[in-house]
Amino acid sequence: MSPADAADQRHPAAAAPEPSTAPYSGLRVVELATGVAGEMTGLQAVHFGAEVTKVEPPEGVPSRHHGPFVDDIADPERSLGYWYYNGGKRSVVADLATADGRRRLAELLADADAFIVTLRPAELAAVGLDLDAVAAAHPRLIIVSITPFGLTGPWADYLACDLVTMAASGLLITSGYDDHAIPPIAPGGGQTEHLAASFAQTALLLALHQREVTGAGTVIDVSSQEASGVTVELANPYWFYVNGIVQRQTCRHASPVPSEPSIFRCADGRWVFLALVLADGRLWAGLVTLLERYGYADDLGTAEYAGLAHRQQRIGHIVDRIEQCFGSLAATTVYHEGQALGIPIGVLNAPEDLYADEHLRERDYFVATDQPGFGTVERPAAAYRFSHLHVVPPGPSPRLGEHDQAV
Amino acid sequence: MTDFCWAGVGAIATRLLADFGAEVIRIEDRERVCMTRRVPLYKGAGLRPHTVEDIDPDVNRSGVFNNYNRNKLGIALDMRSARGRELAERLIARSDVLTENFAPGVMERWGLTNERVREINPAIIYARMSGFGHSGPHATYKSYGPVVQAVSGLSHISGLPGREPSGWGLSYMDNQAAYYNSVALLAALLARRRHGVATDVDVSAVEAGVELIGPLLMDVAVNGRSTRGADFPIGNRCAAPAVAPHGVYPCAGTDRWIAIVAFDDDEWAALCRGLGDPPWAQRPEFATISARVAHQDELDAALAAVTCSHDRHELMHRLQALGVRAAAVQDARDVNEHDPQMAHRQVFFELDHPVIGEARFEGVPFTADAFAPDHWRSAPLLGEDGRHVARAVLELDEDEIDELAAEGVL
Repeated sequence: MSPADAADQRHPAAAAPEPSTAPYSGLRVVELATGVAGEMTGLQAVHFGAEVTKVEPPEGVPSRHHGPFVDDIADPERSLGYWYYNGGKRSVVADLATADGRRRLAELLADADAFIVTLRPAELAAVGLDLDAVAAAHPRLIIVSITPFGLTGPWADYLACDLVTMAASGLLITSGYDDHAIPPIAPGGGQTEHLAASFAQTALLLALHQREVTGAGTVIDVSSQEASGVTVELANPYWFYVNGIVQRQTCRHASPVPSEPSIFRCADGRWVFLALVLADGRLWAGLVTLLERYGYADDLGTAEYAGLAHRQQRIGHIVDRIEQCFGSLAATTVYHEGQALGIPIGVLNAPEDLYADEHLRERDYFVATDQPGFGTVERPAAAYRFSHLHVVPPGPSPRLGEHDQAV
Repeated sequence: MTDFCWAGVGAIATRLLADFGAEVIRIEDRERVCMTRRVPLYKGAGLRPHTVEDIDPDVNRSGVFNNYNRNKLGIALDMRSARGRELAERLIARSDVLTENFAPGVMERWGLTNERVREINPAIIYARMSGFGHSGPHATYKSYGPVVQAVSGLSHISGLPGREPSGWGLSYMDNQAAYYNSVALLAALLARRRHGVATDVDVSAVEAGVELIGPLLMDVAVNGRSTRGADFPIGNRCAAPAVAPHGVYPCAGTDRWIAIVAFDDDEWAALCRGLGDPPWAQRPEFATISARVAHQDELDAALAAVTCSHDRHELMHRLQALGVRAAAVQDARDVNEHDPQMAHRQVFFELDHPVIGEARFEGVPFTADAFAPDHWRSAPLLGEDGRHVARAVLELDEDEIDELAAEGVL
């Protein structure tokens, strides 16, 4: 069976699963989120079929003010960051500095299955929110707290943001350039927030499972520093096992001992990633074939290079041949022809390349969302695909207080 | 769980369920040993690059395998033999979940198509984890973390303007895709519990990666923004919101740094106070957020000139006490040995291992009042639990087990 046939057989033309099959269908979530970690957790709950209600201050949550903005016009209804992380949610305004606002929140919580909250202990106290008291009043409620350092401990009230969390966690020091006169460079996109959101969702799912059995909710305490601190890959085991400290290198694994460059510039100015694992026989054979195809293999196809020791000795020459060859080709040529030869190689796509990617298109990955007043916007859908469960596609984000009357 | 997952993504994904009490039966191949068993990271041994494998590695000594496979059972099964495949089907029949992260086609070669698996066990969750997903023109492309990071855009968006991307110093997407897969497994099991529906799961790491740069994609789609100009990416600075300072500054010592951010005028004033109110901070080009953003190069240089004589932790605590977002740029030694917050939270813990001895593990980054992980063992030796699983799960008798062991099937 060819891979294409196999793929077809795995995706029989079945009727789309009913909305009632979504994992969280029928569940209500209240989200009091000051940043992306909480908003992403709520967004995934939307994908899983929950009704998610955001509680916003009168001026709107911070992401309404962070942008990027449509046409660069700063306006709380034009923030693309807000649109992205809040698609399909409801918005209710409650000023927690007032008794009215607190009553509003309490009414929402009385009906909720889960409460996502990102206030630090001092912020909770300032608005009179005692999570243990809320839990006691609502025994079935699952409270998901997400804070930079957790709700307990000496740093519990320390302030952070993506960059600061990344620094404290041990993740930031692993990334940047070979030249250590340049500071470590934070990988982009707000990833410490996304890591906290992944673990918040995991914890919420575990709590929902347990509630199905016991009927009782719980208080979950997620620390962003820890979520990133357990996501440093080899940095921890190198410390655990050999007391080694990995050193950052340009666009490749930080390592206690230096390794060869892994990104190569192509003729069109774009880059490809290829880690030169010389012991990998298939990679080597594919690479030599590719270099020979374009006349850059020089002596690399000779019998001498069949031995690992010789390859290691001649590493400089090998890197030079790759640089010359890739430098003469378009990055997508290197990517697709390399992959066809079984080489694990990747083109460094820019966001604008992704919308045109034939593979993502074929899998219907992007969805069109109608944002009232602004028209249709294409955006990524949820990355989960279930043969027999409904996943809710992202909808438009709400206007500030759009659902004040509805709840 | 019948768990064919190997390497990083799959092993990390199923580890989460093992931590919380699932009986995860990891199936391994004695001929084609998991690549993390071959990573030469041995307790007490010298520093070696993780990519240079031993010719004849001790498959029970690797710290990377131990780290990813705690709390699981391990059996070695010869899937090339009919008897081995038959045993696998019996395991699948008795499981709630079947997981794998091989290249597309491997499970099919063993007859474990989605249709066949559902015949064997109509109630099972069959989760397939891959780089590109199980359909589409690139479904057979080979990948691991850095390739996924490249293709999904995560590498391109990271670095200083006007030079090569700095990307990631780790396989971020081996971890983050693993977390997506843990979530997908738990969601599928929840739907089965709540709605009585069993499902197959297909998670593509590349698609998870693209989901993680959403606002940038929206900016490109809606505003026609280019990310290929001379002013992108922006290093440690921040465009949404546009604020300054937002950077990493040198401290006393070799390769010592501190991250400092001021989101508003109050935080800026507190930062100035923490630095001893240097006269330059009063200059009009630093008076407002937009002025500080416009003069970021001068601002960063002026800040670096002050921070470079400070101890990174001493300055972090001084600034935090004044209400400034600041943190020492910590490494694994700091986080494991000196960070009082991580120590208080007890995220790291130790377990004994029959070959390695006592070793440290990175735990679960959350706590819950009503449940906790059960860290009952370190990673299994290769094939360690074959007899136990054959007896307790497959209910084979001792003669049959001896025969299978002698034939090399188990």
